[in-house]
Amino acid sequence: MDKQTITIGLPRALLYYRYYALWRTFFQELGMEVAVSAPTDRDILDRGAALAIDEACLSLKIYLGHVAALVGKCDYILVPRVSNFGRQRSMCTRFESTPDLVRGVFRDSGQEFLSYEVDGEQKKTEEDAFLGLGKRLGCPPKAVRRAYKQAKKAEAAHHKARVQKYDQQYRHDGLKVLIAAHSYVIDDPYMGRPVTDYLKRAGVIPLRADMADRDTALKKSRELSPTCKWELSREILGGIALRQNDVDGIILLSAFPCGPDAMVNELIARRVKGVPMLNLVLDSQSGTAGVETRLESFIDIIRFQEGKL
Amino acid sequence: MAELKTRNVSFPRYAEYNCAFKYIVEQALGCKYVMPPPLTKRTMELGTKYSPDFVCTPFKTMLGSMIEALEAGADTLLMTHGLCRLGYYGELLEQILRDLGYQFDFINLSEYDMSKKKEYIRVVRRFNPKVNYARFLVQFMEGLRMTEYVDEITAEYYKNCGFDPSGGQYQRAYQDFLTSMYTAQGRADVEAGYRAAKRSLQSIPLDKPQHPLRVGIVGEFYTAMDAFSNLELEQKLAGMGVEVHRWMNVTNQFLRYGSGQKNLRVKIRDLCQYDMGPTSTANIWYARECAERGYDGLVHIKSAGCTPEIDVMPVLQNISADHKIPVLYLTYDAQTSDVGLMTRLEAFYDMIDMRKKVL
Repeated sequence: MDKQTITIGLPRALLYYRYYALWRTFFQELGMEVAVSAPTDRDILDRGAALAIDEACLSLKIYLGHVAALVGKCDYILVPRVSNFGRQRSMCTRFESTPDLVRGVFRDSGQEFLSYEVDGEQKKTEEDAFLGLGKRLGCPPKAVRRAYKQAKKAEAAHHKARVQKYDQQYRHDGLKVLIAAHSYVIDDPYMGRPVTDYLKRAGVIPLRADMADRDTALKKSRELSPTCKWELSREILGGIALRQNDVDGIILLSAFPCGPDAMVNELIARRVKGVPMLNLVLDSQSGTAGVETRLESFIDIIRFQEGKL
Repeated sequence: MAELKTRNVSFPRYAEYNCAFKYIVEQALGCKYVMPPPLTKRTMELGTKYSPDFVCTPFKTMLGSMIEALEAGADTLLMTHGLCRLGYYGELLEQILRDLGYQFDFINLSEYDMSKKKEYIRVVRRFNPKVNYARFLVQFMEGLRMTEYVDEITAEYYKNCGFDPSGGQYQRAYQDFLTSMYTAQGRADVEAGYRAAKRSLQSIPLDKPQHPLRVGIVGEFYTAMDAFSNLELEQKLAGMGVEVHRWMNVTNQFLRYGSGQKNLRVKIRDLCQYDMGPTSTANIWYARECAERGYDGLVHIKSAGCTPEIDVMPVLQNISADHKIPVLYLTYDAQTSDVGLMTRLEAFYDMIDMRKKVL
């Protein structure tokens, strides 16, 4: 081997849960090592909270904790800037600012960060961004292009498999609750996992609004909210529009104080009628008793309404 | 043929720009303008009561102001598009107002693709299908010029009003200017009002030390500019004998740098590689500019929950550390109190005053 393998650090938070198949495959195809930070725990949150501005959202605090855990342990840490995929397909502005925010917070650490920029309105596509990324890492363009193709395939297959897994669960008997949450909230072991775990223990099937075919969901979201501008929120809106009649209840799950959710969840509560709904906002509390009490009473209400209690 | 009903249009209170909205609605679009009542505690109470909890404060202010505009007789409300959560204000505001039972027409610019010129014509025609386009263009440009005048005079006012020994003459001249803008009916009125203001502000002798304390204001687009929302921070600070400078206004943000702030980014390349959000480039650039010009302090203003401004703060902290310039970070929500703000401002003033004497 003529040179040492490059290690890319992936913080296990925010877009990681959306893109990990893409990122892992891309870097591994190019012969690099991928280091993922450990699942969120109290320590990671505390470290992140100490680094973040008090008013930042819980998700960003956790993200900074994950970055801190990787600093000094890899050649680069990947922090992308994903602004939008076109008109009314924006991300929260936080995804625009993360690379510079992270660089600002960790500027004395000596850590190198790697980022790519996706901005559909400025004609900066994801493909170009990844080609640039490969170039920066000194890989031949042909290999980069092939790696990106493979990575896109892996991403699509991965998402499809997950959607299918959830689709099957609709056929099972039992109380079904649709959770409307960003993937980085519901997949996070510290935020969303206790909620889904509790629901499973209580004999409820937790389903996910964001687990639907993305193009269909985007189109369908217009029925609920014609001008919604956030890609992730639109996927969730679309998922609700597709599945609201197949479930017994909806849980709007968000991290405090999520900007888009504060508005979109209000709109969902005003427009989606006829199905019990729980608005659950997670903050950095250490115990889960409060959340469990609210879930328990929500399940009781559904069962009571359906005459099963 | 039945006469088309003229619309009674309103847009929520926003700093001192409602004179320009009024001018454009009446002179360019040929509709009537309903001036929403000045913002008060009642406005905030109304807005807070019906808004989601952790939406940004300007949403609450605008909702309150829209309710008051509807009570004042408006039948058409306008809401703008925007790069942050502002772009979703329209749909949620409309839904909340309709759920409350108000009846009105809602023109939401987020429904249009405002990057296309054709869409502007569609919007204009919705206001008034019989609009005279030649007149519209001329008067619209005049409305923009009024905006520029308001921004120019306002900047001059806050720079100097703290050094007026006459006790109120300077403020009166500024108020007279605003009155002339709110009552202007045509180009002649706008120009006359502007010239009169320039003359009268310059004719008042000021008692300013050779090196006065200078403070730069940066922050979120609504709260930093709207005196009611920031509890008259600029007036309070100026009143202590400080030159108050604020770059952020409609003229600078939209009319001069609307097509991208690439040239501002040149100077802050080392601080941020990308655009960090709607007003971030301007704020970071101006914060560094103030620091380099040797200003005595910076005040960063935002409403509670303003994501882009929260994300800019780490960069501002670095500027503060690099250039040794104190920054006062203020977050406003519907409950921020006048007294609390005054205490913090006084402490900030004492600190920068002391630093100036020592350094």
